Amino acid sequence: MREKYFRFLLILVLVLCITVTVVHVAYDVYAYGHCSIIQFIAKELW
Amino acid sequence: MKLLKQLSVLLGIILLFTLFNVAVYFSVTVRLSNNFSDATQAKMIDVGEFLPFREESDLARTETDFTLEGELPVLDGAAALVPVYASVINAVYPESSVTYIGGEFCDDNFYGENFAPDSKMQYKNTVRGYTAVVDGDTDILFCAAPSAEQKKYAEDKGVELEYVPVGLEAFVFFVNKNNPVENLTAEQIRDIYGGTYKNWKDVGGANRVINPVTRMEGSGSQSAMNAFMGDREIAMKSPFAITGGSIGFSFRYYMDGIVENSQVKMLSLNGVYPSAENIRNGTYPVIVKFYAIYRKDNQNENIKKLIDWILSDEGQTLIEESGYVRIK
Repeated sequence: MREKYFRFLLILVLVLCITVTVVHVAYDVYAYGHCSIIQFIAKELW
Repeated sequence: MKLLKQLSVLLGIILLFTLFNVAVYFSVTVRLSNNFSDATQAKMIDVGEFLPFREESDLARTETDFTLEGELPVLDGAAALVPVYASVINAVYPESSVTYIGGEFCDDNFYGENFAPDSKMQYKNTVRGYTAVVDGDTDILFCAAPSAEQKKYAEDKGVELEYVPVGLEAFVFFVNKNNPVENLTAEQIRDIYGGTYKNWKDVGGANRVINPVTRMEGSGSQSAMNAFMGDREIAMKSPFAITGGSIGFSFRYYMDGIVENSQVKMLSLNGVYPSAENIRNGTYPVIVKFYAIYRKDNQNENIKKLIDWILSDEGQTLIEESGYVRIK
C-alpha cells in the first residue's frame, strides 16, 4: 500500500472510531444523568 | 511485509476502539437504555395506578363523614407521596374534582400524567412542586423537607411556607441484590460519599470500586442525603467509578411499596433494617418526616381543615394504610 493511501486510511479509521466513541460516551453521560438509579443499580453485573 | 504491517496497524486501532465500546456498552449503556425516553426519564411513578375514584387503583380507602365546602385545595406532591394525597382526595373530595386534559387519563407525556389545569389533583413531583406552591399554583404540597435552593426561592419571592409534619418515613440506602454487603454504619456511608472509602472491601465487601450514586439536586431524596451528610461534602467521584458496585439512596416505601424491584436490596443501617416496625419503634437511625406544605398567606380556610383531618385518627390511619408510618 502506498504511504499516501495508508495515511488517508489511517486518518479515516481514527476519525470514525473516535467519533463513534465520543457519541457513545456522550450518550451515556446524558442518559446516566437522567435514568432511574434503581433500574441502573438493579441491572448491575456482579 | 510492509502491507501486512499497515493492515495490522489499521485492524489494531479498530479492535482497540471496538473493545472499549463493547466494554462500556455492557458495563454502562445497557443499564441505561430501558430508562431513556421522554416518557420514562422523569416518570418515577406510574400515576395511573393511583388515580382517585377508580376501583382498580392501589389506594388506601376509608369511610369518613368529613367533607369540605367551598374552594377545595389543589393537592400536589412528590412521586413517593402520590399514594398518600391521592388517597386523601379519594376519601374527601368529590369525583368531579379530578379532571384530565381531553377528558381521560393518559400517561404519554413527560411526567406521566395529564391532569387538567382546574383539577384538584396535580403531580409535579418535588422540584416543580415547590415552585408551584410558592407561586400559588398549588395549595398543599406533600413533600420531604426542602433543599436550601427551594427555601431561597421562597425567600426571594417573599413567601413564607408552613411545614406541617403529617407522617414518618425511613431514608434508606440500597445496593444490587448480589452485592454481599447487607449492613453499613451511618459513618461508613458518610465516608463512602465523602470519598474516604472507594472500594467495597474497605467496608467488608468484595474487592470492587464503589459507585456512590447521587440524585438530581432539589429532589426530596437528594435534600435528605445532604442533611444526612451534615457538614461533610459529597466528594467528586472518578468517572471510572460508574462501572463499579453502586450504592444509592431513596425512601423506604418508594423502594419497597411503589417500585418493588427485586434486583435491589435495602441495607440495614447500624444493624437496623428499615422496616415500618423499626420506624414506629424509633430504632432505625434515619427517620425523616414528610410534610403538608402551604403558603402562610393562603386564604383558603379548607387548607387547615384538611390538614387537621389528616392529623386526626382517620387521616393518620389513611397515612398508615398508604404504606407510611403515622406521626400521631
